[in-house]
Amino acid sequence: MPDTSAAASASRRAAPEAVVQLIVFCLGDEDYGIRIEQVKEVTVTPEVVRMPKTPPFIKGIANLRGDIIAIVDLEERFQLRPAGRPVPEFSYTLAVEAADYTLGLMVREVPRPVTLPVSLIEAAPEFVQDSGQREKYLEGIAKLPDNEGVIIVLDMAKLLTPSEIMRLPGRVEPAAAAPEAPTPPEKP
Amino acid sequence: MKSRDQEYREMFMAEALEYYDAMSRHLSELERNPQDTPALNELFRLMHNLKANARAMGFVDMGEVAHKMETLFGQIRGQERTFTGSLVPLTFGAVDMLGNMIRAVGAGQETGDAHVLLDNLERLIQGQEPEQAAPGQTTEEADADASRKLELSDLVYIPVKKLDNLLNLVGELVIDRDRILTLAAELGNAALQTTAQHLFRISDDLQYSVMDVRLVGAGVLLNKFPRVVRDVAAAENKQVELTLAGQDVQIDRNVLQLITDALLHVVRNGVSHGLEDAATRVAAGKPAVGQLRISALTERDDVLIQVQDDGRGINTEAVRQKAVRKGVVTAEAAAALDEQGVWMLLFEPGFSMAEKITDISGRGVGLDVVKLAIDSLGGQLRVNSELGKGTTFTLVLPTSIAVKGALLVELDTRAYAVPLLHTDTVLSLTNDEVFAVGGLLMTRVQEENVPLVSLRHLLYSEGNEPLPRATRADLPAGDGRQQVLVVGYNNRRLGLVVDRFLRQQNIVVKPLSKPLDTIDLFGGVTLLGSGQLCLVLDVPALTRLFLAKRP
Repeated sequence: MPDTSAAASASRRAAPEAVVQLIVFCLGDEDYGIRIEQVKEVTVTPEVVRMPKTPPFIKGIANLRGDIIAIVDLEERFQLRPAGRPVPEFSYTLAVEAADYTLGLMVREVPRPVTLPVSLIEAAPEFVQDSGQREKYLEGIAKLPDNEGVIIVLDMAKLLTPSEIMRLPGRVEPAAAAPEAPTPPEKP
Repeated sequence: MKSRDQEYREMFMAEALEYYDAMSRHLSELERNPQDTPALNELFRLMHNLKANARAMGFVDMGEVAHKMETLFGQIRGQERTFTGSLVPLTFGAVDMLGNMIRAVGAGQETGDAHVLLDNLERLIQGQEPEQAAPGQTTEEADADASRKLELSDLVYIPVKKLDNLLNLVGELVIDRDRILTLAAELGNAALQTTAQHLFRISDDLQYSVMDVRLVGAGVLLNKFPRVVRDVAAAENKQVELTLAGQDVQIDRNVLQLITDALLHVVRNGVSHGLEDAATRVAAGKPAVGQLRISALTERDDVLIQVQDDGRGINTEAVRQKAVRKGVVTAEAAAALDEQGVWMLLFEPGFSMAEKITDISGRGVGLDVVKLAIDSLGGQLRVNSELGKGTTFTLVLPTSIAVKGALLVELDTRAYAVPLLHTDTVLSLTNDEVFAVGGLLMTRVQEENVPLVSLRHLLYSEGNEPLPRATRADLPAGDGRQQVLVVGYNNRRLGLVVDRFLRQQNIVVKPLSKPLDTIDLFGGVTLLGSGQLCLVLDVPALTRLFLAKRP
C-alpha cells in the first residue's frame, strides 16, 4: 500500500537560497501545506474508532504502529468542506508531531511533497479573515511560480496545542467567548 | 533465580558506588572552594543516605563512618567549623575508607577495621585534633591512591520510561501472538500450530520477565516511613511505635510512585488524627505508646497496603455532622448513609476532620488526594474502624499498571472494556425485575436498590442536561431481557445496560495521548486480539457523570 514515508524523501540539498519543504494536501478546494519536519509519516487512514464526548471534527482514535493517536478532520475543523460533499470513505492520514504527542490529520487525497524557496511564503494578508479561526494558525501563503496556484502554509505548532485542537470552530469572537470543548463531566 | 538478599545487596552496591563517586567529586569541589554550599549540602545528603542504606543492610561500621561524616558536614554547614586543616585529609581518608568498605561488600569480604578512623572522626566532632596529627600519607598510600583502578557498576540504571516502552511493545507482541494462534487454528496447519504454540510460550515468558523487571519491593517506599512517623509524632507530641511488614511484597515501580503522596497522607492522618496523645490513651486504659502498622501483602493479583492504628477510631456521627456542616453532602443524603458511606466522606475534597490547624494536618487538603491517586490506578480504598479501638485504611492496588483483568461488553457493535476491579456482577433482567422510582429505573441486587442506566445514553447524550426521566415504558417490549453490568465505586453501585457481554480477558491498557487525555470517561485504550481498538471505561468517572446527570 502507498505507505510513503515522508521523512525518507526529505533529502536535503545544499541550495544557494534557503528552501522549505512542504507536505501539501487538499482541504475543501484549497491547497494547504505543512513543513515536512513536522510530519512524521503519511499513511492510509487506519481504522478509526469514534470516541464519545469529543467534538465532531475529532473523528476518533486510531492505532498507528502501536501509538494510539487522535484523528482530526481539518476540513470540518476549519469548516472548509463544501455543503453536500460527503466525508470520504477512503482517506490518508498525516501523522504530525507536537511537542509531546502525535496527531493524525485526515486528508482526502495523497499528500505530495513540494520544495520552494522560503521567500515565496508571504505573511497572510489581512483579508483572509473569513474562514473561521483558520487564520490564527497560518504561517503564510506561498505563491507558486508560473501561476500554479497558492499553498496556504499552516503553522502546526500553533494548531497543535491541546486546547486549540479541541476548540470548536466557527467563532471569530474573542477566544474567551469560544466554548471550551468538550465539556468535562461535572463533578458532584 | 537470585535470592532477595542477593538482589538487595546488588541494589545497595549500585547505589553506594554511585554515592561514593559523587562524594569524591563533591569533596574535591569543596577542597577547591570551602564556601561551596551546594557541594556541602550534597555531601551531607549523600552521607545521610549511605548511612541509612548501610544500617538497613546491617553494615554497622560503614553506617558509623557515614554517620560521623554526616555530623561533621552538618557542623560545617552550621558554621561551627570550616573545611580546613586536619579535617581535609581525614575526610578524604574517610571517603576512601567508605569506598573500600563498599568494594569489600561487593566482593563478599569482611570490611576492614575502621575504629582508628572512627576515633579520629569522633575527636574532630568533639573539636579535638585527630590522634596522628594530620595523618600524613605515606608515599606507598599516595601511590596506591594514584594508581587506583576505576570501576563500573555491575548494574545498569534504566529510566522507567524505557521500561514503559518495552512493556508496551510486549503488549503489542502478545496481541499479535493471539492473532497468529487464531489464524494457525483456522488454517489447521500442524507445523504452523506448533510454531505458534512455541511463540506463545516465549512471549508469555517475555511478558512476565519485562513485568518482573519493573517490580520493586514495597519496602522501597515503606522504609521511608520511620522518619515520617517520627517527625509527625514529635510535632504532635505523641508517642508512636511503628511496625513495618511486607517490605518484600513485589509491586510495579510506577504504582508505588503514584501512591507515594497518598500513603504519606494516610500515615500522617493515622498519627495525627487516629492516635491519641499519651494522657488520653492512659485515661482510656490503653498503653501510652500508640501502635501504627504499615504493611504490604498480596491478595490474588492485587497488592494491599494497610495502615493500621490502635487509636480512637472514627466517630461516625461526628463525621456525618461535619460533612453536612462543610456542605460536602446534604443533611438528607448524610442521614441515609451507612457507616461505610460516612467513612468515605473523609475522602471528599474539602473535608478535614481536624478542628485545630496544625503543621501536619487540618489544612483541608489531604485524604481526597488519596482517593484521586487510587482512582487513577484503578484501585480501591477500604476503611475499617471501631470506635475506641482503632482504624485501618487499606489501599488495594494492582500489581502492575499495564496488565489488568477486564470484562468486555458490546455497545452498538463496539467493544468496551471495564476493569474487573470495578465490576460487581452481571445480570440478565426481565422486565418484572425492573421498577421505576423518581425517574430512574432500578433493580434489586442483594437486598439493595441499584439504579440502571443505559451506557449508550451516558456516553452519547450531548450537553449537560439531565438524562430524560425513565419509566417502565422504556423497557424493551415483549420478553426481551436487559443485559446489565453492575459496577461499584466508592460503595455505590450502578447498573450499566449494555447490548451484550463478550468475554473476560487480560488487557494491556494504553493511556490516551493528548489532546484526548482530558476526557476522563476513558481510562485508556487497549488493542484486542482482532487488532481492534477498544476503549477502557473509567468507572469512577462514569459514576460521577451519572450522579451529575441523573434526572
